[in-house]
Amino acid sequence: MSKWQLYSRRFRRNRPAVAGLVIFALLVLFALVAPLLARYDHIELDFLNLGEPPNGEHWFGTTSAGNDTFAQVAIGLQRSLMIAVSVSVGTTVISAVVGTAAAYFSGMFERVTLLLIHFLMVVPTFLLLAMFSNDSGGDWRIISLIMILIGWFFPARVIWTMALSLREREYVHAARYMGVPGMKIVLRHMLPNIGSLLVINFTLGVVAAVMIETGLSFLGFGVKIPDVSLGSLIGSGANTITSAPWLFYFPAAALTLLTVSMALVADGLRDALDPTSAAGGRA
Amino acid sequence: MIKYLMRRFAGWMLMIVVATNLTYFLAWGFLDPRNNYVGRRPPLSEDQIVQLLQPRDLSDTVPLFERWWSWFSGIIFRWDWGVSPVGQSVNEQVAYRMWVSAELVLGATVIATVLGIALGVYTASRQYKLADRIGQATSIVTMNINIVVAALGIVLLAIGFNNMVGTTVFFVTGSASPDVTGFFPTIIDALQHLILPTIALVIIGYAGTHFLQRSLLLDNINADYVRTARAKGLTKAQAIRKHALRTSLIPVATQVAFTIPTVFMGAILTESIFGWNGMGRYFLETIAKNDIHGTVAIAAFGAVLTAIGALLADIAVVVLDPRVRVS
Repeated sequence: MSKWQLYSRRFRRNRPAVAGLVIFALLVLFALVAPLLARYDHIELDFLNLGEPPNGEHWFGTTSAGNDTFAQVAIGLQRSLMIAVSVSVGTTVISAVVGTAAAYFSGMFERVTLLLIHFLMVVPTFLLLAMFSNDSGGDWRIISLIMILIGWFFPARVIWTMALSLREREYVHAARYMGVPGMKIVLRHMLPNIGSLLVINFTLGVVAAVMIETGLSFLGFGVKIPDVSLGSLIGSGANTITSAPWLFYFPAAALTLLTVSMALVADGLRDALDPTSAAGGRA
Repeated sequence: MIKYLMRRFAGWMLMIVVATNLTYFLAWGFLDPRNNYVGRRPPLSEDQIVQLLQPRDLSDTVPLFERWWSWFSGIIFRWDWGVSPVGQSVNEQVAYRMWVSAELVLGATVIATVLGIALGVYTASRQYKLADRIGQATSIVTMNINIVVAALGIVLLAIGFNNMVGTTVFFVTGSASPDVTGFFPTIIDALQHLILPTIALVIIGYAGTHFLQRSLLLDNINADYVRTARAKGLTKAQAIRKHALRTSLIPVATQVAFTIPTVFMGAILTESIFGWNGMGRYFLETIAKNDIHGTVAIAAFGAVLTAIGALLADIAVVVLDPRVRVS
């Protein structure tokens, strides 16, 4: 049985994780397909239906300005997913390379990197994030970039502690004595050995990025009109929560399904990839 | 021990000073107090704006270095953190709002921690039984609900409940009613305002402690010293309480200490939903109003909390871990 068969068998045994994966796949599908199905796009205003509850014409109802909530939720979900995945890929790659390199090269490089990380932990990052993104004019690409720049250092510290024990392993020593260049040892020999940690970091990073992005957009610092994200939709829904609660329900449901399903997947991956885990029986 | 803590303290102080000054310069890069006066009716002339801002150290006609020194020396010599573009004292604002936030955050942190530890111990001693499975499933869901969704969901439920009983049991905005007098009415009023945001913070916050406590205790339950204790006649509950729990509390204490600053700042969302005039609200206002001195004060406040969290974590290790005390 190959490694991957083993992982997938262990993952499939964790039923909540499988459910999470299915929900996540359905959400991605919804974000991709729904804009094609919708009769209105998310910017178009329907002046004959203002603030309508869900009905046959507008499946998720309309806002008081006449936006179709179905189209808005689909686009908002798409936007939140794009931001979350790109931020998580970015922070995982940077933190993995920096953290492992700091552990391998040790000495001065390690000390400077750790000092920088500790210093950045004191600087209030949420404040920086709010100031930067307030300046960005609500472009989601700039917001993602800022979130990557500010988000890499905490995971880098975790990865550094993991990589510390790796640098003392025989195969790393062997590679060094054979004259393999340092950066190549980091990328080819050390990184693959913390691969499982990186996969889990990535899924948890998606959850964290969704949370931060929705928080920012809710407060009005993130994605701005005419662009929408789940956070900005919930933010505008919050103002009419008693008079038009459907404007809150649908984006809130999409957001909760997204974060919870991803967390379940992360949990299942942890069980499947951890060689010492006894959860889910033996294989 | 004291010497060690003092050295850590000095290190943190240095970091806070550097980080705060860095934030000062960054804030000038993003915020412009002049914007507050653009579009005023009747329009203010350039000179009038400068005359308003200059005495407050907020005019960009003065070189940045001079502005910085005037601000920084004010803090060093008079503990004066400056004023906002409209002249409010930052010291007064922080001194007042700090306690509003603390009222909310401290209670929620204590409840979430106690609940998390209790659940962790309870589920760990019943690993993979029904109670453990249910506890784990609930925690993974609550931990990953966005705080905005949780808070607004609670608001909806509370409004529904208020309508059902026909009177306002839970207040969904503000931290106190203005016209309440007397000792007991004030306390009851405060609780009516506190309960919903506290529930929101606890729901999001307890699960992290639960998971950590559970997995640490599971590592320790099967350790030799716990088995020895049981062999000497202690029941399982006694062995866990007296031996396993103590060692597994150390990382939990560390984690809780480090979450203090994040909870304080994370209250930004809770405070803006429930209309509390705490530090979180202040944070939003200072950025919206180009209040550079206020923004930097919040940054410094956050840095101090991080340092306090780190020092508390160090102290917790010393108190809980006998190995550190002996050496």
